[in-house]
Amino acid sequence: MMAATHLSADNNELLERISWSQIEANERRLQRRNFWVAFAFMSPAILLVTTFLLTPVVYNIFLSFTRWKKFKGLDEFAGTANYVKLVTNRLFADALYNTSLWVGASIIFPLVIGFGLAVFLRGVALERTFKSIIFLPRIFAPTAVGVIWFYVYAPDGVVNRFLSFFAGGEVDIGWLYQSDTVTPAIIATFVWQTVGLVMVLILLGLSAIPKDPLEAARIDGASSGQVFVRIILPLLLPTLLVVTILSVLAGFTVFDLLWIMGAANPELRTLSLAVFMYFEAFQKGSWAFGSSIAVVIGAVVLSVTWLQALLQHRVDKMIR
Amino acid sequence: MTVAIQDLDFEALAAKQQVVQKGVPVKFIFAIFISAIWLVPFYYLIISVFKTTEEYSVNHPLSLPSGITPVFGNAVVAWQQAKMGAGLLNSMLYGVVGAGLAVFFAALASYGLSRIDFRRKNFWFMLIFAGTVFPFQMYLIPLFFGYQKLGILNSQLGMLLIYTAICIPFPVLVLRNYMNGLSREMDEAARMDGAKEFSVFWHIILPNCRGPMTATFLLQFTWIWNDLLFSTVLGNRTEVRSIMNALQVFQGSYSSTGPNVVLTATIIASVPSVLLFFLLRRHFMEGMRVSSI
Amino acid sequence: MTGATSALAAEIQLFHDKGFWSEPLQTVGDAAGVATGNPITQVAYSTPEQYKAFIQSAIAGGDVPDMFTWWTGSVFSELVETGALAELDGLWDDLIASGDFSEGTRDFYKVGDHIYGVPLHLSRWVALYNKEQFAEAGVEEPESWNDLIAAADKLKAAGFTPFHATVQDGWRGFIWFQEFMIRTDPEAYRGLHDGSVAYDSDAVRNAFEIWSDWYAKGYFSDPRSNEEVADFARGKGSIYLIGDWAIGLIEAAGMTAGEDFGVFIMPNQDPSLPASVIVEGGPIVLSKGALDKPEVVEALKYFVSVDGANVWAEASGNSIGNSNAEPPNVLVAEVNQQVSADATLAIDRWWEAVPGDIQGEVVAELNRFMLDPTMETADEVMANIQELNAEYWADN
Repeated sequence: MMAATHLSADNNELLERISWSQIEANERRLQRRNFWVAFAFMSPAILLVTTFLLTPVVYNIFLSFTRWKKFKGLDEFAGTANYVKLVTNRLFADALYNTSLWVGASIIFPLVIGFGLAVFLRGVALERTFKSIIFLPRIFAPTAVGVIWFYVYAPDGVVNRFLSFFAGGEVDIGWLYQSDTVTPAIIATFVWQTVGLVMVLILLGLSAIPKDPLEAARIDGASSGQVFVRIILPLLLPTLLVVTILSVLAGFTVFDLLWIMGAANPELRTLSLAVFMYFEAFQKGSWAFGSSIAVVIGAVVLSVTWLQALLQHRVDKMIR
Repeated sequence: MTVAIQDLDFEALAAKQQVVQKGVPVKFIFAIFISAIWLVPFYYLIISVFKTTEEYSVNHPLSLPSGITPVFGNAVVAWQQAKMGAGLLNSMLYGVVGAGLAVFFAALASYGLSRIDFRRKNFWFMLIFAGTVFPFQMYLIPLFFGYQKLGILNSQLGMLLIYTAICIPFPVLVLRNYMNGLSREMDEAARMDGAKEFSVFWHIILPNCRGPMTATFLLQFTWIWNDLLFSTVLGNRTEVRSIMNALQVFQGSYSSTGPNVVLTATIIASVPSVLLFFLLRRHFMEGMRVSSI
Repeated sequence: MTGATSALAAEIQLFHDKGFWSEPLQTVGDAAGVATGNPITQVAYSTPEQYKAFIQSAIAGGDVPDMFTWWTGSVFSELVETGALAELDGLWDDLIASGDFSEGTRDFYKVGDHIYGVPLHLSRWVALYNKEQFAEAGVEEPESWNDLIAAADKLKAAGFTPFHATVQDGWRGFIWFQEFMIRTDPEAYRGLHDGSVAYDSDAVRNAFEIWSDWYAKGYFSDPRSNEEVADFARGKGSIYLIGDWAIGLIEAAGMTAGEDFGVFIMPNQDPSLPASVIVEGGPIVLSKGALDKPEVVEALKYFVSVDGANVWAEASGNSIGNSNAEPPNVLVAEVNQQVSADATLAIDRWWEAVPGDIQGEVVAELNRFMLDPTMETADEVMANIQELNAEYWADN
């Protein structure tokens, strides 16, 4: 070794005794051993997740490019035929339209009302009680909430009785039976159930805002409106982002509430993409077509999640 | 994923809010008004279960019941016709065993991911975590056929398998973060003393994770209890169906019972999870805290 | 069968989607155990669509249940085409030779040249009426179309709602549609099911016009009820057009058959038409493999035997058309008598006759009309249905 000639004899001896390749080999052996130990620990989770979640996703994508014959099963490769059918399908268009109503509404209403309540209820007497009440519906299952509201909206139910009381005459609206009222009515129930959670998430975000910049701004003579827009809002941005994304995903994949509350509506199958997919697959037995709807839902959900990751990154940078 | 953050700690929130203004009457009245609107459905739910079907159909939906005894009759009819006993037992089984196994497997995986050094950890973490990014709709059709092939469609085993699998990724996220935060000295010391990896996990790490494990267990239990979709697709026989599926079928069935009976069934189906929430609010709150890291 | 073998008895399962008949079916299953040594275990699926999916995928996977229920009509032919079902011609020869069943009933389960099912129930779709309200309004059982309209007017004048119909559970929309069709133009009704008559043809339009007109006159009850049977028992409609299987449900809701409510078969609008009634006959079928299992065949034989039919009738109020069995109740007995006296023709129910692929979407459109029964909606509904129908027949 050329370099070794400059070293003392002792050191030289020492170095020669160490075999670098052996250290590397040891290291590798240790790594390998560690990997197998870790893998043993991870294996139940990996096995279950790949078998019951990831494999189905792959198979679903595969199915969406095939044709499915009733009673016979997988028939043949169909290329993009299912997707072409999707684009031209009137019911799919209706389902997509209703789903976008859901997404729009679930961005705006929970956020605006949740934020409003979070700010409004600050400092009101019995604040905790009020907040608990607003949160209460969240503890119930969507199925249970759907059943309750199904009867609340009945032709002789609570909502119509209320309206009759104020209108003076008899109000007899079939909220869940008419195509123009069913989606807004179920969205109202959705808002009733989810606003409490949104409010609490926003409160958590608000309470995490440091007090120093607020004080400084006040001393500099900023109005409360300015403080809100310039300081609170940017600091609350991560929370708002999480809340928005959660709402969008919930609105996009909503099933339970629609399934229960829309049961009597002739247009049930088009009330959302998730319901439409269920009908096509499990009622009509159009399995391949149904799986292509699932892929569309998956594509949208993944893009939203990806967008969130992207924005989260931006926001984090901006705050720092 | 619907791993919803279920709770909040009202006390802590209130404490954090230092501004305690004097109650403005107008605001207070408006708050009462809003709360009243929020409570109407619950008021309606509670009074309805005390009515007979006849009383319900004749009277104003918000009128007070004439007595409290009809609730027993309603509960008996609901219990028998909706087969609620089987539904409650099944949901209890799926919730306790499914969420329990999921959290345990997640703890095992998190141990591997956080306490042992090996390369490409991130790949394995992402593989497990990928289980939360897809919408449930993408699982349904393949699971239905796969279960059919394996002969576990409409079986308790099949339900347990999917519930366990679907409840693993989220606790892995939480527990991995938590274990990363634990000091390494304890387990290094134990390893020096010649302890096997599993006993390090079992005797040292696990006891330190009780808090987040309880919290994630409660979240997953509630999720399984509330699930309708998987139960509707994979577990439809009366003997295996979950309580929410039983409720859904009862509401939409040919039964000649009135809304009062269906609403009684709704309360029976909701009692366990609601009770759990109120009894263990602190742990639910912990779930909230660990999941917002 | 001897005691020794029955201890090792194989479990015989009957798969079905009629959750509301689980208990009565199990009663028959237990009685079969007493009679043959092999009890039948009924296995209920909670929704028809889930059940269809289950059977379809079972057949695709080659693992067909031994014994299960199905529907007649186009979905039956589809199932038979898969080759998964057992031919029951031999069994039927015996049933007819013993005088228990008629050839007409047998032919209900005939697809092509062979017979593939036995009746789980055989129901006629009849008008059940509230006797108290008829008496109060001074109305008799109508024997002609004009009688029927006169009765409706009298009931209306007496403060009652003449006809009871709802969209509950999403499948009921076809009931009155099918009735108007067979009472005005049964030929066109049959044509709807093979694609030769369009859903926007004059015959269909005529049916919608009567339907819409009757709604406008206030003949029909609020379609938005979720307690159809209970509402009939409460008197919210005087005449309830439904399968006679509903008699048991109405009795459970508090009315007594024969005393509180009676039955008549709907008259034809065109008096020259032969007497007819809609018949629904859900079949029980066997898989091909089940023929090799004598205990399964025995179980099926028990179900259609006089004893089996009696136990089933008693438990559920259903008739399977076994002439030597007791009718399940007085009203079914009355219908039996009337049908044989008038040589009444059996017509397939719309639900079974329509192609299964478009059934759900079409009935949803019919429901939509019931919720907004104007001719404007009717035009939309007819156009939408015809679009689905034309597309189906173009592909098949």
